[in-house]
Amino acid sequence: MKTIGKYAVAATVTAMLACAASAAPASAEVLKFVSWQKDEKGIGDWWGSVIKEWEAKHPGNTIEWTKVERSAYSDTMTTLFAGGTPPDIVHLASFEFQTFANNGWLEDLGPWVEKAGLELDGWSGQDICNFQDTTVCIMMLYYGTIFGYNEEMLKQAGVDVPTNYEEFLAAARATTKDLNGDGIVDQFGTGHETKGGGGQYIAEMASYLFDAGARFTNAEGEVTIDTPEMVEGLTRWKTVVKENLTPRDLSAGEVRKLFADGKIALKVDGPWIYSIMQQGAAKDKLKLASVPFDPPLGGSSNILAMPSEISEEKKQLVWDFIAIATSDKFQTSFATLAASTPPSPRADLTEAKAQIPHFHLMAQSQKAAAEHKIDRIPIGLEIQFNEFSKMIQEEAQRMIIEDLDPAAVAKTMHEKAEALQ
Amino acid sequence: MSLRFLDLARPSRQHWLGYLLLLPAVALVALIIVYPLFVSLDLSFQKIGMATLSAPRKPFTLENYHKLFASPDFWNSCWVTIKLVVVVSAACFAVGLGTALLVNNRFKGRTLARLFVALPWAVPEVIAVVIFAWIFDSSFGLMNWLFIKLGITSQMINWFSEPTAAFWVVAVTMIWKGYPFVSIMTLAGLQSIPEDFYNAAKVDGANAFQRFWYITIPVLMSVLGVTSVLVVLWVFRDFSIIKVLTDGGPLKATQTLSIMTYDQAFGFFNMGYASAIGIVTLVLCVVASLLMLGRKSQAMY
Repeated sequence: MKTIGKYAVAATVTAMLACAASAAPASAEVLKFVSWQKDEKGIGDWWGSVIKEWEAKHPGNTIEWTKVERSAYSDTMTTLFAGGTPPDIVHLASFEFQTFANNGWLEDLGPWVEKAGLELDGWSGQDICNFQDTTVCIMMLYYGTIFGYNEEMLKQAGVDVPTNYEEFLAAARATTKDLNGDGIVDQFGTGHETKGGGGQYIAEMASYLFDAGARFTNAEGEVTIDTPEMVEGLTRWKTVVKENLTPRDLSAGEVRKLFADGKIALKVDGPWIYSIMQQGAAKDKLKLASVPFDPPLGGSSNILAMPSEISEEKKQLVWDFIAIATSDKFQTSFATLAASTPPSPRADLTEAKAQIPHFHLMAQSQKAAAEHKIDRIPIGLEIQFNEFSKMIQEEAQRMIIEDLDPAAVAKTMHEKAEALQ
Repeated sequence: MSLRFLDLARPSRQHWLGYLLLLPAVALVALIIVYPLFVSLDLSFQKIGMATLSAPRKPFTLENYHKLFASPDFWNSCWVTIKLVVVVSAACFAVGLGTALLVNNRFKGRTLARLFVALPWAVPEVIAVVIFAWIFDSSFGLMNWLFIKLGITSQMINWFSEPTAAFWVVAVTMIWKGYPFVSIMTLAGLQSIPEDFYNAAKVDGANAFQRFWYITIPVLMSVLGVTSVLVVLWVFRDFSIIKVLTDGGPLKATQTLSIMTYDQAFGFFNMGYASAIGIVTLVLCVVASLLMLGRKSQAMY
């Protein structure tokens, strides 16, 4: 009896310890999630809904969601990873994750994807996440551009809505005006950011380059800048900037605001332009149409990943978060809440199409861009993208400032890009 | 025996108490200044992209320094930094000294004038930069409007797209932000000069310029010396004004050593190379400070 009692006490203590051991991490786990999209209307709400769902499925566990401004994001994430305290849920822009992956900081998600049976065929932009033969991330947005125009300005200038580059240029020239004759242009044909970082500069140029048939590299990652197509693309960019068809030295946000307020006639931009248009002074005059460039500019935007150096328990919790974000239910709600095209081919877009009048334009553009594998990040230059984009920006600026021949500029860019590889 | 040894009240042990009280501050300084400096120095001798504190040390190499001294970008950044230091420091001293002499005189509204002189110093740097970015905006800025109205130019100047214009925009912004410091320091110095010096000089027949040159400047030299070191170091290391206004562009016309360091570290993730630039910048700052302090001590009144 005494022995049985001893066993009973031992078993009880062991069971209590086991319960405490298993319950303690489950009840106390806090996942750190850093993002620049926290307070963004639409997309921020969607992330909030994913967090809510995760917390409902993991009672007692929480996600600590912190906002870091985009301008300081790369620095902050680098510091966090370098200091050995990365966020548990890694949210990065699609042009910066490669450096983190190259440093071995991101977990190979391949086994997790396989184990969960997540089907990624047809997932827009997912190719970009396949880095050095491993799946280091899940693409969260691959967008196609849409085309906004000011109907009144086009009418006053006597031009139709452009459907190709030539018509776009003619319309931009016709709508760039000094309205009060003081020598200062008050109204611009189109708008581009020409001041910011290299990545944005490439995105601004890209429509003209891709429409001319130019690519920075081919499918094998070989540099293909010194081509007649690139010379044509650079000539187009030079024309638009040199003729002052766009305001100079403004940030992307300022350019969008000018378009929304009726100071710019034509604007090719991402899906986010619609919500900005709705807040502008000229919102009644602004319309949307198909992009007059073929193929339309598209691009990967941001990714979800997992740090490689966290515990296995935390990895499972992070994967649960990724699984919710990539589920059909949340990909469908992404379309309605974020008013943007979800990367999943299984998302049900019926409600989004009914709610958002221009949704079909975004979907068409995304599909066309994805089919042409359009992205501002060239294959083979992913790790060096920041240096590459800075070089392209400087050479393009030099072409405009020093009035250089685009053919010579293409040659220089080609040589410098090869040297970077 | 041991208790007597630790008796800090003993006259022969009293200096120990001083060291003991200093210890926390010294430890803190070592932790937040000396340790990062050492890490930076160590990184500069490694070929390293992204640095991780827990990662094993990479082999010692001088490659970063070889690459740095062979890089035209580095020499361009040195040249831009020196140009900016000379232009901004000289202008800050001219304007700062001028305004200090002005508001040191007795006149109606002097308090208000002093307030306006010091105002740019109180404005946060980022706000000042945003104001100047608007003033010099290439499409809708005040300066272009003014230049066209006054007939100085017939077309818009692309202030941030032209290398020379961009340099001067950065310089003007830094001068506006930096001169009040010189002004405040100089004003404090001016108020410490005894009136008797000037009265004696007047009796001796010295004119205003002679009084300024032979009394004001020599007495102010100690203040000006320290101020010059602080202003030069501020221009050397200032980052936010250039980062927000031009980001070092166009065509690296405003890329100083601090901007180059940041780009290499957080733009291109070359931490070893960036550390090498940081160490060279530190050495340049120390040399410049020593030279200026040396000059000051010789030129003392």
